[in-house]
Amino acid sequence: MRELELYFGPQHLGMVGNFSITLNVEGDRIVKATANPGFLHRGFEKLMEQRTWIQNFPLVCRINVVEPDHMELIYAMAVEKLAGIEVPERAQFIRSIYLELARVGSHLFGLWAYANMLGFDTVANWAMYHRDLVLDLFEEITGGRVYHIYIWPGGVRRDFPKGFKDKIINTLHTIGSCVPDYDDTFFNNRIFYKRSKDIGKITHEEAKRMGAVGQVLRATGMKQDIRKIEPYAAYDQVDWEIPVRTGGDAYSRIWVVRDEMIESVRMILKLLDKMPEGEVYNKIPNPFKWNIPDNEAYVRCESSRGELGLYLVSNGENKPYRAHFRTPSYNHGLTILEKALENESIADVGNIMISLYITAPEIDR
Amino acid sequence: MNHTGTSLKENLLSYFDDILVEISDEHRLTISCKKDSVITILSSLNRNGYNHLALISCVDWIKDNELELVYIISAYTEDSEKGKMNILVKTKIAREKPELLTVMSIYENAEPYERELHELYGINFKGHPRLIPLLLEREYEIPPFRKDFDTRKYVQDVFDKIPFVEDKKGRK
Repeated sequence: MRELELYFGPQHLGMVGNFSITLNVEGDRIVKATANPGFLHRGFEKLMEQRTWIQNFPLVCRINVVEPDHMELIYAMAVEKLAGIEVPERAQFIRSIYLELARVGSHLFGLWAYANMLGFDTVANWAMYHRDLVLDLFEEITGGRVYHIYIWPGGVRRDFPKGFKDKIINTLHTIGSCVPDYDDTFFNNRIFYKRSKDIGKITHEEAKRMGAVGQVLRATGMKQDIRKIEPYAAYDQVDWEIPVRTGGDAYSRIWVVRDEMIESVRMILKLLDKMPEGEVYNKIPNPFKWNIPDNEAYVRCESSRGELGLYLVSNGENKPYRAHFRTPSYNHGLTILEKALENESIADVGNIMISLYITAPEIDR
Repeated sequence: MNHTGTSLKENLLSYFDDILVEISDEHRLTISCKKDSVITILSSLNRNGYNHLALISCVDWIKDNELELVYIISAYTEDSEKGKMNILVKTKIAREKPELLTVMSIYENAEPYERELHELYGINFKGHPRLIPLLLEREYEIPPFRKDFDTRKYVQDVFDKIPFVEDKKGRK
């Protein structure tokens, strides 16, 4: 059969985000896939070199549109490490709760994309509605729905407002009470099983060789999570489990996402119970005249897509000398996607891509 | 300092003599080496179980006329002490005609990182199977992430040549 070249994205309906894949196809089968990023390259890392330490906060949160909060955290953590700023304990708890809420929101968004792509419009709309409830919480603390700039070097910008704890619990109960509905309509649905089982399969060895992190790695049976390995914020203060599956296919990955969401909700409730009183931020020097000593730092955290890292270099001036983000989608979208698409059918391209949890802005930066 | 870091440091120093090992922070190990020994150090780390290449980064030290490459390595492991370790392997190369061997034979996921550095810093990775553009649309004389790339001049050159819409043409 004749081999053809098919351009999938960035305008293709099955494509999520500004990303494109060139597929070499034989009939319906993909022979070779080539990822083409760059449609969203905004040069953030270069821009950061020309702005002061504080001015960079509105930039970093725009690196990943779906979950800006982990970007804020990683940048704040790196600045704290370079400048030697301590964070009060209450702020650590607030950070953890806030980041777990962000994870729930981001996973619900991912579930929306995935369910929508498989044709489960009802489930997709539920997920979007529930994500909106989480965004309402963010709006109340920070004033912004998507971009918050809430995490700050030395803590968080302000304390939770009065009665906010009950609001979080209410929202989580609303979402949690719908888990059986999600299970009945989507996760235990035969159509979901048939569309995703053994699709985009990656073995454990391949995942390790190609730099997989996050759900992609945990779906191959490895318990790897930066929140456990190198605890930051208040993740070492409560007990929680790392959800793991062994299939390595799209089905396992989406199940890991579901389990993680539930684990996050449980974790938030535990964190709320243990939250101490006190200050929520330590004072930082005057941001207009803030020079950070000559040093470098590599920090990492677990974003909802996997290991997120930042290599930040200072040369003693009032702005970073070099910033380089290690984003989880980078290897998932450029190395693993090309491998996972081989010998699959054209109809499953979107399926595999969304199950790998790829976001284009993270790849391009 | 934890035991894993110190034992790894001793282990490395016994094998390689022209390297500088520094324990910069708890669970952060910095190895500075010459550009020819990067491959051997990385493969020895890989054999020791540090099998995850997290990032390849580059810093342009324009005052020293050098580019510094930083390979950040960690481990896929359930052992908590080893899992915490992050190893930064650093090497400096000249800014003019920078060349280095690819590490794709050791870490397969180095491919896009090296492509990116080739494009943004102009580093030529020998042995890389496809050093084709990754992110950028155009080609520049000076690779755009280098410190001597003048962003302001670039903007003026590109956008100031495009004429503004005149007010007569219908805009009030």
